Order: sequence, then C-alpha cells, then structure tokens
Amino acid sequence: MLEIKNLHVEVGGQKILKGLNLTINDGEVHAIMGPNGAGKSTLSYAICGKPGYEITDGSVTFKGKNFLELEASERAGEGVFLGFQYPVEIPGVSNINFLRAAINSVRKYRNEGEMAAGDFLKLIRSKAAELEMDPEMLKRAVNVGFSGGEKKRNEMVQMSMLDPILAVLDETDSGLDIDALRIVADGINRMRCPEKSILVITHYQRLLDYVVPDFVHVLANGKIVKSGDKTLAIRLEKEGYAGLGIEENAA
Amino acid sequence: MTAKNHLDGLKFKAQFDLWGGSLPRSELAWVNMLRQEAMAKFLQFGLPGPKMEAWKYTNLGQLNSGNFDLLTSSDRAGNETAPFESLDGSKIVFTDGFYNKATSTIESQKGVKFLSLNDYMKDYPEAAQKLFNKKDDGSSLQNLNTAIMTGGYVLFVDENTKLAGPIQIIHNTTTSSENKSITTKCFIDLQDNSFAQMVETFIGSDEHNYWRHHVTEAIVGKNAVLEIYQIQQESKKAIHTADTHVDVDQRANFKHYSLNLGGKISRTEIKPTLTGLQSNVDLRGAFLGRNGNSHDVFTHMKHMFPEGTSDQIYRGVLDKGGKSSFQGKVYVAKDAQLTNADQSNKNLILDRNAEANSKPELLIYADDVKCSHGATVGELDAEALYYLKSRGLDQNAAKALLVEAFVAEVFEDIKLEPVRLKYLELALNWLSEETKE
Repeated sequence: MLEIKNLHVEVGGQKILKGLNLTINDGEVHAIMGPNGAGKSTLSYAICGKPGYEITDGSVTFKGKNFLELEASERAGEGVFLGFQYPVEIPGVSNINFLRAAINSVRKYRNEGEMAAGDFLKLIRSKAAELEMDPEMLKRAVNVGFSGGEKKRNEMVQMSMLDPILAVLDETDSGLDIDALRIVADGINRMRCPEKSILVITHYQRLLDYVVPDFVHVLANGKIVKSGDKTLAIRLEKEGYAGLGIEENAA
Repeated sequence: MTAKNHLDGLKFKAQFDLWGGSLPRSELAWVNMLRQEAMAKFLQFGLPGPKMEAWKYTNLGQLNSGNFDLLTSSDRAGNETAPFESLDGSKIVFTDGFYNKATSTIESQKGVKFLSLNDYMKDYPEAAQKLFNKKDDGSSLQNLNTAIMTGGYVLFVDENTKLAGPIQIIHNTTTSSENKSITTKCFIDLQDNSFAQMVETFIGSDEHNYWRHHVTEAIVGKNAVLEIYQIQQESKKAIHTADTHVDVDQRANFKHYSLNLGGKISRTEIKPTLTGLQSNVDLRGAFLGRNGNSHDVFTHMKHMFPEGTSDQIYRGVLDKGGKSSFQGKVYVAKDAQLTNADQSNKNLILDRNAEANSKPELLIYADDVKCSHGATVGELDAEALYYLKSRGLDQNAAKALLVEAFVAEVFEDIKLEPVRLKYLELALNWLSEETKE
C-alpha cells in the first residue's frame, strides 16, 4: 500500500529524515516510536504533503502512485488521513460545515456526487455517538475551545467520517486521559480490516496496549534503526532507548 | 474661500446656481433658503481634502476631476431590485436619489410615521424646519448634502411602539445616474422604549459613474433600540459616501452593521454620541476590496455620560488591487466614568498588491474607564490552510472557507436571519468571483 524508499527530508534547510525506508502492506498496523527530535512528525507531514517539508531524495509511493507529485488535498482524496499531534483551531468554521466540505471535496476528487444532506447528518450523528462526542460540539467552531482530549476525539470523528485507506496518526495518544485513550483506541481498532492500514506514531507504549501493532519501528536520527513485533515496544518501555543502544535527542 | 487642507467646491456651486431652484421642494421659500444657506456654509470650507487626517485614505479630489452634475428629476425606469424577497413589511425605494413611489410599499402602523422627506417638508413644514435646525457637526459635506438633496425619508416611532417588522430602504440607480450626484437624507426619531430595524441597500449597475452621498440623522430615546443594516453594492465606478449621526439616550441601544463590497471609493462614517447613562452602541462591519476598490470606515464614538458601553468590530479582506482603512476614534468625556469601550479591526490580505490601514484614536478624559483597541493585518493562517487541505479541500476551497469564516464572525450575532444570510451570501459571491480569476 505505502512504500517509502530512501526518504530524505529537510525543513528550513535542516536535514531531518536521512534515508528512511518503510513498507506498509494492506491490513497492517505499524507503530513508529522514537525519541524527541527523531523526525517522527516530519515523516507524517512528508507523507501527507505539508508545505515546507522539502523532499531532497527518495520516493513515497501509495497504491502504485508517486505520492510526492500530489497536493495535500489530492493525497486525502486518494484515501490518506493525517491525525494531527496538535489539531488546528479554526475560528468561525463549524465542525459540521467543515466535515461536509471535506467529505464532498474527497467525493468530488473521486468523481462521486455530493452526499445528500440527510445522509450526511445521519452519518455524522452515528460517528459522533460511536466516539462519545457531544453532538453540540459538532456545531462549534473546529477545535476552538476544545480540551486536548476533545481535539483528539474530534480527529477520530473526522477520520471515521472520511473513512481513509491509510491513517497516519501522529501522537494521537498525547494529552488523553485513560478513558479518552480507550475511546480513541476503539476508534482506531474499528478501522482495522484487511484492506486498510494504520501508521501509529507515538512516544509511549501506552496506546499500543489498546491498538496492538503488527510491526514496531524505532526512528532515530532520521532513519529507522530497529524493527520488530509488538514486543519491541514493551522492551523500549522497560529499558528505554538507551537500553537498545539508541541515543535520545540524536537529531 | 476654501479652508485649509480642503478642496474647493466651486464646481458644486456652479451646478447649484444652475439647478438649485429646480431641486425638489425648492419651490417652498424655507427650503430654498435652507439650501442656499447650506451651500454658503459648504463653500466656506469646500470638500474635505486628503491632507486632513480624517480624510487621509479617501481622496474626494475625484469629485472635482469627474462630472457629478445635479439631477433634478429621474425617469425612475428599470433596476427595480428587491434584495430581500423574504422580508415583508414596508419598503421605500429611492431611484437615482428620488423617492420612487411606484415601487415603494409603506404600511401604516399606529404610533409610526414613515414617509418621504419631500412629502414631509410639504405637509409638515414647521416640524420639518426643526429637523434641519439641529446641531451642525461642522462637516462641510453635511452642508453640501442639505443644499443638493433630492429625497429621503423620515421615520418617527412613538413611545412604547415596536415596528411591525424591519423596514427596507433601497437606493438604486438607472441610466439617468451617469455622471451625476445622487444625494439623499433621512431622519429617524425613536421615542422612549420603541424599537426599529432598518435594512438599507445601496445598489448600482456597474457601468454607471456617479457619486452617492447619503446622510442619516437619528435619535434613539430612552430604552429604545435602533438597528441599521447596510449593504453597499454600488457600481464599480461609483463613489459612495454614507454618514450616520446618532444620539443614543439613557439605556438605549444602537446597532449598526455594514458590508461594503461595491464602489470604486467608499466611505462609511458613523458618529454615535452616547447622550445618557448606560447607553450602548455596537458597530459591526466588513469591507471586501479588490481591483481598485477603496473602502474607508471612519467611526467617531463619543461617550458623554457614565456607564456607557460601545463595541466596534470591523474586518477587512483585501485582494489584489484592494485598499482599505479603518479609523476608529473614541472620545470619553471627563464625566463619562465607568465607560467600557472596545474596538477591534482585523484585516486579511490575500495578495501582496493590497493595502489595509488601521488607525485607532483614543481620547480619554475620564479616569475610571475600560477602553481597548486592537488592529491586525495579516495573511491567511498557513497551518489552518494545511489542516483543511489535509482533509481534502483544495487550495481555493480551503481559502474560501477561511475567508468566509473570517467575515461571518462579524455578523454571527445578527438575529434577523434573512439579513445575516444575505450578508454571508454576498460575501461568498465576492469570494467566488475572486477564486475564478
């Protein structure tokens, strides 16, 4: 599904990713862990086309397409969703209008007609209920005045509405209390199926107790330095990066 | 005779000498006298010039370089715009500045007197003279307006009377407006505990070159509420100047909303005076400019009594070739203790070749007040833009959604739903014109 080869990324002239390789097949859940400054967020932005993240070498291929040629909006249209570490507040735009615009933009990209207003409302109410979000929050401006946990929950509502093929979740677990973590993890697990894949980027092993990954990778100094199964995350939690011979803040 | 930093007004004098006697109601001696005196006062100063601080961003010199002759009648044909199909009730139409009886609908209501200014001057001459005898704010344009006005209305609402519904005022134009001055004046007097909403649209066809000058003189009695909603969609060649003077009495509330999108040059002046304890004024507006549009909003809030509150929120969106200025003057008299005056002007620049100016001016003579002001000029938030794009919105759709939201916030507390929706619709249309380019 996603194939990243020898990816080099610079931000503001600074080399962040230095030859990263990663292959995610259909139906797989991958977790990327790593110390601060290793380039975890940079990887998610590079996959999802954020301006300012300059690809100096390497390739990103999604479903056989050269992803680096596509605009951020087109990548969403292809079925990739980015869960933000810090979801952006957008004053004046209600959640519900935002989601309607998003859904219809993605449908337009896929040459599908607009979703009927009634179907849309039905869908959003059921998704909000699944993720235990107060329906009143749908009327509020996107993320404005939301607590850290509410913002993350809102990301999950957006994800389940957009129904992506690949979800890239950047520290979705940060800022969540244990109840919210469980709800968000349920949301992620609901997406799991043989056709869809998930890339979870996290600092802690905690989320991986709920969303059990098929593969765990350690990202340090701009590269994947170690890969393994879920036991790698547990070892990391116990022994720390140093225990695995990885320097913190290597970047 | 022109005063310092003013431009001469001789061109208007020449026109007035030719046509002043043929203007509506000039046949009445007192009106003729009123016009003559006003013209003389105007000439003592002339037109406000760009060297005056208050007129730094709007150069009325174009009034002297172009043709803005007086119009003594209009055939009033065509261009019958009804901007609010969903609003019922009274509607008064001024075509080329003349009362258009055929397309106006004036519903009578007990306790409400609403009629054309020209009819009022004819039928109630003594009362009408008193209206004009009120204070002169020293602005030469007000005098010019009185000298050459061709129409307008008066609205009087008795104590404890609520208007049955909002009144629509439509200022439209026909081909007769080409190279003309279109001059209207209106008076609003709300007695204690009364309530009125006015929805006023200025609209012109894009081919026409004209100067429209509209003046509103209003009084809001104790505990009364006056809401004015203005929409400016003048011709792309037009010069538009609209002035509102209002006295707001004890615990009364005055609200003024405006959306400026048309005209080559627009100047919106609002001068509220808080003349009683705990009176309250809210001013809200948005101006959207591109391709040679210049919008200027000038407010002068005068707090004369204690415990008054005023709140001003203005937002500008400037695209390629657009220019704007917001000048917000707040005066708090020595006795106006416990005044609370807020002011905010945010501007969004969509292109390098756009200009937004913002100038707050606070003159505070009381020592126990809360006054705030804030002004920003900035571009669209790149993080927000990316967030929307990551959800599938393309560049244009993401931009439009953000700009729409920026404008919508100014109008979000409007309870008159058809008006709020109209504002949004017009702003969206403006945005889509832009994204088509």
